[in-house]
Amino acid sequence: MPSWSEFEPFIVSGLALGGVYALSGVGLVVLYRATGVLYLAFGAVGAMGAFLTYAMIQASLPDWLAWIVCILFGGVITLIYGMIFGPPLARRDPLVRAVATLGLTLILFGAMDLLWPPTGGEVRSISLPTDNGGFTVAGLQVDWTQLIGLCAGVVLTVGTAAFLRYTKLGTAMRAMANDREITATLGVPVRRVEAAAWFGCGILAGIAGLLLADLVQLDPTTLTFLVISSLAAALIARLRSIAVTFVAAIVIGVVHDLLTPITSLTNYRDMTPFVLAAIALLWVSRHRTVMTRSREEA
Amino acid sequence: MAGVGTKDAAAAAVAGQRVRLLRRPERPVHLSVTVVLVLFVLFALPQLMSGYYTGYATLVAIYSIVTLGLGLLVGRVGLYSLGQGAILQIGAWTGARLLFATSQPFPIVVIEAGLVTMAIGTVIGLPALRLRGLYLALITLMLAGAITVVLATVNFPNGGGGFTGYNGTSVHIPPIRRPSIAGSETAYFRYAVVVALLMFILVYLHLRTRPGRAWAAIRQSEPAALAAGINTTFYKLWAWALAAFITGIAGAVLASQSQYLYSINFTTQDSIILLAVALMGGVYNLWGAVIAALLMQLLPAWLQNLGVSYAWLTILFGVGVLQVLTTAPAGIADQFPKDMKRLGRLIWRLVRKPRAARAASGGTT
Repeated sequence: MPSWSEFEPFIVSGLALGGVYALSGVGLVVLYRATGVLYLAFGAVGAMGAFLTYAMIQASLPDWLAWIVCILFGGVITLIYGMIFGPPLARRDPLVRAVATLGLTLILFGAMDLLWPPTGGEVRSISLPTDNGGFTVAGLQVDWTQLIGLCAGVVLTVGTAAFLRYTKLGTAMRAMANDREITATLGVPVRRVEAAAWFGCGILAGIAGLLLADLVQLDPTTLTFLVISSLAAALIARLRSIAVTFVAAIVIGVVHDLLTPITSLTNYRDMTPFVLAAIALLWVSRHRTVMTRSREEA
Repeated sequence: MAGVGTKDAAAAAVAGQRVRLLRRPERPVHLSVTVVLVLFVLFALPQLMSGYYTGYATLVAIYSIVTLGLGLLVGRVGLYSLGQGAILQIGAWTGARLLFATSQPFPIVVIEAGLVTMAIGTVIGLPALRLRGLYLALITLMLAGAITVVLATVNFPNGGGGFTGYNGTSVHIPPIRRPSIAGSETAYFRYAVVVALLMFILVYLHLRTRPGRAWAAIRQSEPAALAAGINTTFYKLWAWALAAFITGIAGAVLASQSQYLYSINFTTQDSIILLAVALMGGVYNLWGAVIAALLMQLLPAWLQNLGVSYAWLTILFGVGVLQVLTTAPAGIADQFPKDMKRLGRLIWRLVRKPRAARAASGGTT
């Protein structure tokens, strides 16, 4: 067992990672509640955005423009998908709607493979200016990107909760989560609210893609499947509670990184989200909550 | 006395029905076309193919078993699994390990690999089947991710010792052995086709008998199936176990086909592509499984020959999934004959119209 000091740096990186998972998880939960679609293309959208940023920086365009393009790309592509495929699938099973987003995942995945084919050995990366510099807390080195990762998670979780609670649009989204038909009857412009949810979720995908490309690695597969970690957090929260999603995401991020220094487990640390989500789901199913909920939905 | 008589009559009727369902083919034309096609694939096709395509054709036979299992789960029972790629990996790992460890005859090893995979699949499936719909799909996706991580660390057996059978330092790696009667590529292709055929027959028999009817009832409505006295958990688990069994068998055959297995060749993405092609091929039809395997294995080989990147194919699969889910839920296996019929009708109409017009004009002059 390594000593405590070896674990310490991984607490910081784990919290940063957890923060990004949290903001992704929150995006997934909000979209699912508002439209009934579990957006499995979240990671692929973020990855594509990050690659666009990479390409723009390579073409020596200004950095800030590249970041904005990444985030907007996420929003726009998600909005387009939602507008085209939302309505025809609106009355189908939630499962079918989730599987359809896998179609978008494959399209984006293929496009990334085509535009940025795997290089043999050469490492692509995005570095944000916040990587340099930082500060020290209790003897731990923290760089600004890590702080942004954690803060983005906290701020967006709190912000989204407040948005859903206090704004008119947020109230409309919550109403739609309960019953789409009745909400429409009450005069809420259902399509427009859905569009807002799609766009918001896409923006979060863009932010998550950009941060993860810096914090983890700029690689299509890695970034696409990092969505599974945030998905695990959203699942632990049974696709309902934003607060639980946040806590679960932080736990997944920290546990994942804390396993790194333990030699016997380090290769298995990528299993953390799967294992935690599986335990949570099975525990929840024992209490029959998941089953009754999905029966309502099906 | 009378009661016994009716019971006997009922039993006789049930037996008669069973015999009819099993023995008398519904569509004799359909059956004879299938038989001719199978004979063609077994005897004529290997002569017509180059070595390059023989290897890929073998993969088509193997993957048609995997998509058959997935189509069974999705189309017949309504269970979406995103973890079939992982189940295939378990089968391949077990098959390779047993082929290195023992000198048992090949078919025995294949069946053992199927049984081990079935046991593992059932252990995983038992709790997972308590979840339904979306949650089952996601838990299987998690499973696929987890198994890929484990196998990336454990590695596939390459003739080493110990439980994992992996020897990281070996320079000379022995190939995974093949059955003595099917050492060459062509012979192994025939072997794989026969295995696939047996699996299709196994599934067909299931579909035509009690489990098939139970699955159909479950897919229509689980509460109604429950009310009709069907043990839904049992039959769902049965479908799950059957799919894992045949996928495990496919895995063992795959291990011996590729002869060297590397964990880097198996990705989580494969499980997603498997579901994509199964949906595109058509999950309500056994032919759909064959079409899906052709899409997944032969199409890339052909495109590679033409110098087209595999990435285009990934995009095509993505578009295909969206198209199938929005407009043609029964996939190519259902859509293609319909389109052909429509085309035939169109051509017939085009042929008939000038003739009718000529007849009409001939009448007036």
